[in-house]
Amino acid sequence: MKQILPKKKALQKTALLLISMIMLFTLVIGCSNNNTANTANTPAPSETTKDSDKKTEAPKERVTLKVEVFDRGNSPDGMTVTDNLMTKYIQENFGDPNNIDVEFVAVPRSEEINQLNVLMAAGTAPDVIFSYNAGAIYNFATQGGLTDLTDIIKEHGPNLQSYLADSLQYGVFDGVQYSMVARRVHLQKYISLIRQDWLDKLKLPVPTTTQETYDTLVAFKDNKLGGDQTIPLGFALAPDSYEPIIWSFIKEQSDEARYLRSVTIGSREYPILMDGHKEGIQFLNKLYNEGLMDPDFALDVDRKRKQEQIVNGHVGMYSEDAVSSYWNDTSIAMTLEKNVPGANLTPFLPWTDFEGKNRQPSYTPSGMHIAVPVFSERAVEAVKYVDWMAQDEVIQYMAFGDEGVHHTIVDGFPVNNASDEAKKLLYNSGDMLIVTNGIDFGSMEKNIESTVLPVIEKHRELAKQARINSMKDSVQQPIQFDKPLESEAKHSVIMLDKYHELLVKSTMAKPADFDKTYEAALKDFMDTAGTEVINERTALYNAMKK
Amino acid sequence: MMYKNSYLYRYWQLYLMLIIPLAYFFIFKYGPIYGVIIAFKDYNLFKGINASAWVGLDVFRDVFGMKGFYTALRNTFLLNGLDLVFAFPAPIILAVLLNELRSAKFKKLSQTVLYLPHFISWVIIGGLVYQVFATKAGIVNLVLAKIGLGPFPFLADKYYWLFTYVSIGIWQSIGWGSIIYLAAMTGINKELYDAADVDGASRFRRIWHITIPGISTTIIVLLILKIGDMVDIGFDRPFIIGNVIVRDFSDVLSTFIYRIGLQTGQFSNATAVGLFQAVVGLIFILGANYIAKKTTGDGIV
Repeated sequence: MKQILPKKKALQKTALLLISMIMLFTLVIGCSNNNTANTANTPAPSETTKDSDKKTEAPKERVTLKVEVFDRGNSPDGMTVTDNLMTKYIQENFGDPNNIDVEFVAVPRSEEINQLNVLMAAGTAPDVIFSYNAGAIYNFATQGGLTDLTDIIKEHGPNLQSYLADSLQYGVFDGVQYSMVARRVHLQKYISLIRQDWLDKLKLPVPTTTQETYDTLVAFKDNKLGGDQTIPLGFALAPDSYEPIIWSFIKEQSDEARYLRSVTIGSREYPILMDGHKEGIQFLNKLYNEGLMDPDFALDVDRKRKQEQIVNGHVGMYSEDAVSSYWNDTSIAMTLEKNVPGANLTPFLPWTDFEGKNRQPSYTPSGMHIAVPVFSERAVEAVKYVDWMAQDEVIQYMAFGDEGVHHTIVDGFPVNNASDEAKKLLYNSGDMLIVTNGIDFGSMEKNIESTVLPVIEKHRELAKQARINSMKDSVQQPIQFDKPLESEAKHSVIMLDKYHELLVKSTMAKPADFDKTYEAALKDFMDTAGTEVINERTALYNAMKK
Repeated sequence: MMYKNSYLYRYWQLYLMLIIPLAYFFIFKYGPIYGVIIAFKDYNLFKGINASAWVGLDVFRDVFGMKGFYTALRNTFLLNGLDLVFAFPAPIILAVLLNELRSAKFKKLSQTVLYLPHFISWVIIGGLVYQVFATKAGIVNLVLAKIGLGPFPFLADKYYWLFTYVSIGIWQSIGWGSIIYLAAMTGINKELYDAADVDGASRFRRIWHITIPGISTTIIVLLILKIGDMVDIGFDRPFIIGNVIVRDFSDVLSTFIYRIGLQTGQFSNATAVGLFQAVVGLIFILGANYIAKKTTGDGIV
């Protein structure tokens, strides 16, 4: 046995002590950080009451109103998503005059449904909850988990009743107002962009029909304009890649066909049984097998690879959520131009349907559903909060801040001036201003103008053109029944999984095996959830027709 | 009569220290067992466990009627079976090899390097997996292309994916798993080796007749535990390394429960599957233990 020298022993002892102290220390820090972040700072009620225009009757005792807020992990230094300039503004202008302490509860954006389920199950959900997933909200409603807001809105919500006049109807289930539905201003859903410089090199015009687009893709591939890693069609396993293509193949456009042969998954309409759906997927199969798409597209669920491939200059054309590529100097378009000298993107309409139209999906004017859990004791305060927010001055401030400080007036529109002050106040204004998704300036032209003003100057016209493109021949989706379907709410996750399986397997199959693979995957989809959903849709449709 | 020298009196500090882990087990493992009744109720989030209606075996009927359940069950056995065949012997072989090393320094170095993957979170491994195994742009395929092989769809074909899944599992657990065998090997009497050497046994013979039997108890115990775990499968590995293309094989009971339980809020179904897993796992472990006792005389219960 080796004898450990006394000196070494002492050294070992101190080392051990040091290590255990460090570990204990990190444990304490880790735990305490969690706690201080969760117990959202309740801002101390300011003694100097700010002059509020609306003199509301303050209830006798001070109450706390908990409001959900999405956490995207992008708070500026020194602020958290539950304690920042905007939360202070809300406390000073809504909380204090109404004797309410407004507390924000952070929920990570990517986990919102899971977290919401857990919070609701535990009975600790905030008083104001919201989601874009109408099915999830409906699930809560059918289980008796939401407060009936009909009378409360009549009494305490005059502002929101008029501001949300068009969208409140989407929150009525079985005749009861369970959620306040925010306004959605911008209905443009998807745009498509193509490498203009590649077209110029090949002396080709911008394609305007599906056939021309296909020929252009083949030309991109044959000429390897993006190097060895050329990917003519940038494609990820995400709706903004496949919806534009598939919808362009659908031959039935009547309401009846959509009610009876589509399914609604989440907030999107999937025309899975409609005439033309199989052809759409077969087209993808053709593109895949001819090497016009990335062979690993099915692994790209968060669209990061697609974005990487685009900014590195490998991609010829792609579709995306309306106008993500044109923005400020760190936008996709700008990054591409920096990486590849001479590169530039043009918006265009690649896909034409059986009538030569550019039919594409667009949004309905309903935004997120705002609801109050049944176990909340602050339903009145919750409605008051949304009602307060639905006033023009509040919306203006929460979206644009003060003139000169956070925004400048350009052509009559407030434009975020991208200053540090603006970043600090408005970095998450979309998530705080829950009563509307986008700012309404009165008409679609004006609204489009307002969204492109913050875009970097040289891309402004292109961004505008892209938005105008996405409204051409567009169809609002999903088609609505008078209430969400139970089976759709129950199976939404499974249906999306199975649909993606169908899409991926059929696309990646050998052309000779396409029919077999597609039919098998479709049967799987129907057996798992599809049949149940279609049956419920048919029953509801027949009931509606009466 | 209280003996001043009683075990409890002399070692009360040790018993006190035991209270903490016992409390942990009681609160977190035994306490929640009552929640199993959710599997027999139509669980309503808002009514709570007690006020939700009893539905008897309806939930189980519902779950066993789902095609996805059987696929998940089959895949669980498939992946666990492959792990048993390939990933169970791997640490044993590694331990034997390490045991034969002469240089203590090299032994220590290789052990440290081999343990490290165990500490890397699966989420990080998931991020690396794409970079390494992607069909066209992955490192492995790029290297193979230089020799003129491939490209192999490591992640894009379900049969290739099985290979990827098992290999990554082995890489991650081989070092850590070998610790226990190495520890068992230190208990083998060194004189046996010397005696065998004198009798003219080759290295391989020494391993086969001394080392392996010496750790056989350990192997049996771990084998029983592994078989008992056949119906249980971790969530991280299949979820993170799996993808849509290989869903046929990568969807296992744990990911199935995640999807229908947490993502869609059907807690009754998820609990039913969990209960099913627990009962079947118990049967397996008792069965394996019984067989082990009958054949080799070693068991854990």
